[in-house]
Amino acid sequence: MQTLRMKPDLMAEFLEALAAWGRVWAPVEREDGLFSLAVIDGDVTRARPDALRTAVPFKKLLLKPRFTMLQSAAGGTPVESADNDAGAQVLFGAHACDIHALKILDLLFLADYPDPYYRRNRERLVVVGYGCWPDDRCFCDSLNTSTADDGFDLFLTPIEDGIQVVVGSSVGDDIVRANRHLFEPATRRDARHYLERLSTRKEAFKLKLDVTALPFVLELKKDDPVWDELGRKCLCCGSCSMVCPTCSCFNVADEVTADSGAARVRTWDSCLFRDYATVAGGHSFRGDRGDRVRNRYYHKQEAFVREFGMPSCVGCGRCIDNCPTGIHVVEVFQHVRGTG
Amino acid sequence: MNLGLPPMHRPRSLERELATGANPYLPARARVMRIQELVADARLFELRFSDPELARSFTWRPGQFVELSVVGVGEGPFSLPSSPTRSGVVQLAIRRAGVLTNFLFDHLREGDEVGLRGPLGHGFPVERFVDQDVLLVAGGLGMVPVRGLLQYLIDLREHFGRVILLYGSRSPEQVLFRDELETYGRRRDAEILLTVDSTNGRPWEGRVGVVTELVDDIELDVARTVAAACGPPVLYRFLLKRLAALGFGKNRIYLSLERRMECGVGKCGHCAVGYTFTCLHGPVFSYWDAINLPELIDQ
Repeated sequence: MQTLRMKPDLMAEFLEALAAWGRVWAPVEREDGLFSLAVIDGDVTRARPDALRTAVPFKKLLLKPRFTMLQSAAGGTPVESADNDAGAQVLFGAHACDIHALKILDLLFLADYPDPYYRRNRERLVVVGYGCWPDDRCFCDSLNTSTADDGFDLFLTPIEDGIQVVVGSSVGDDIVRANRHLFEPATRRDARHYLERLSTRKEAFKLKLDVTALPFVLELKKDDPVWDELGRKCLCCGSCSMVCPTCSCFNVADEVTADSGAARVRTWDSCLFRDYATVAGGHSFRGDRGDRVRNRYYHKQEAFVREFGMPSCVGCGRCIDNCPTGIHVVEVFQHVRGTG
Repeated sequence: MNLGLPPMHRPRSLERELATGANPYLPARARVMRIQELVADARLFELRFSDPELARSFTWRPGQFVELSVVGVGEGPFSLPSSPTRSGVVQLAIRRAGVLTNFLFDHLREGDEVGLRGPLGHGFPVERFVDQDVLLVAGGLGMVPVRGLLQYLIDLREHFGRVILLYGSRSPEQVLFRDELETYGRRRDAEILLTVDSTNGRPWEGRVGVVTELVDDIELDVARTVAAACGPPVLYRFLLKRLAALGFGKNRIYLSLERRMECGVGKCGHCAVGYTFTCLHGPVFSYWDAINLPELIDQ
């Protein structure tokens, strides 16, 4: 790891230089206060790395919401499709929570039998992080995901009269060496400013989730009426899953194509959908809405912790932003614990 | 001792490939060699991989499953009903239940090609059955994975103690692999006890009643017996209580569970309970592991 500094007025030139590493994706303001990840080729000034959260997270760069996995000509043998292959991409403006979410997706998709569709895009993804400032829906600090020590190629943090640049990988080092004129050595003053920012930022978190022994609390509360109450409130629309940076369930369906060939198509799915756990013969193992809601929270805050020693929620606040009936994840757990 | 089985890997550890290829979602081609009527609406399909090298090397553990694919129609998980000691062909015992199986029954002919992915999941930990008496319990279509284990135990007979099968069906005409099972019984390869819910007016020499009642009809040396079961949720509900009451340790009872396995390799999430993927961590679980996962079995 290496720490450098960059002058703020060099940002546009830096963004243009990134294009040599792939198509550059960055948060852009689509309409007032609504941000999306979009390709910024042609107009790098659209990039808004300070934007807190894009509606849909970076996961769409790795696995498209819908793509063809396999295809076959009429009567032919199915072969792998390149529909999902995006080539080289640069994700600019990833926040610490996004980087932790990316590492969680890697745990799933690159372990056991690696997912070749994910892997091909993942191996060609360059991650440039950007230091953010929390709002009242960020609770990453409670989940130890408010800063990232690795999982990025470069990480930029705005500091007084400059931008701190942390080089986190060999690819990040390549970018720096190819653009030496943009960077200068970091100073002691920079380090002081960064640490001051870190402690002021920590105090800026207003939303807190108490995760003390949360898996065991959930074990004790698995039959609590709170899950039925939530089941009545939740529409099971799946919005929270679609915007969650660590939700990655998918469904697979076969289609006959216009030329009488066939395709096997993969789409984003949600465990909240009614038929998610239905087996041949029609039996659903989770027919009740309350059961499905409970399963989603247990997956993230209980079962994942037992498997990997950390939750699979990174505290980004997207599900709070997007729930049509106002279900608030932090309030749910406060209620379960009996403190809210 | 070498039992000739592929290794069991701890999930979320080693990066590995399926025997059918590096893309775990891409099926390998297999030809339908024979289709045989088992009972009404259930057939035995014998398949052979079109790649001769794969046909020769493909092996599995009893209790593992494969995904059978007809791209354009669909894909579904099916238990392997035969023992790897009888490899060369891959058998699948399939009941007509939906779009894919309707296609298999109505349109698939001997000589046609389909796709197969696998072997998938964890099978039975047969190493722990060595020198033990083995009690097998099957209900209905649960006989499919249990038959693979039964054949395996019989083929390596000298490594195991008593082999006892309790198998319950709805009626005599629903009994799967009846001739084969009765032959094992006659040859004393295994103790075979069959029961039906009702005789439906058919001739029947076995018991009438639910399969869990058969447990009381046999003498078991519980301390040296392991149990392996597969059946519908109602079977587990009664059987597990009964076995626990007899003194079986919960880690000496193994269950093969059904869930909606779609990708088969622990990615798509449909069969997950919490963060346990029935396809990857299972489908065979010890009773202890199953009881500690909410909703994995009805209790």
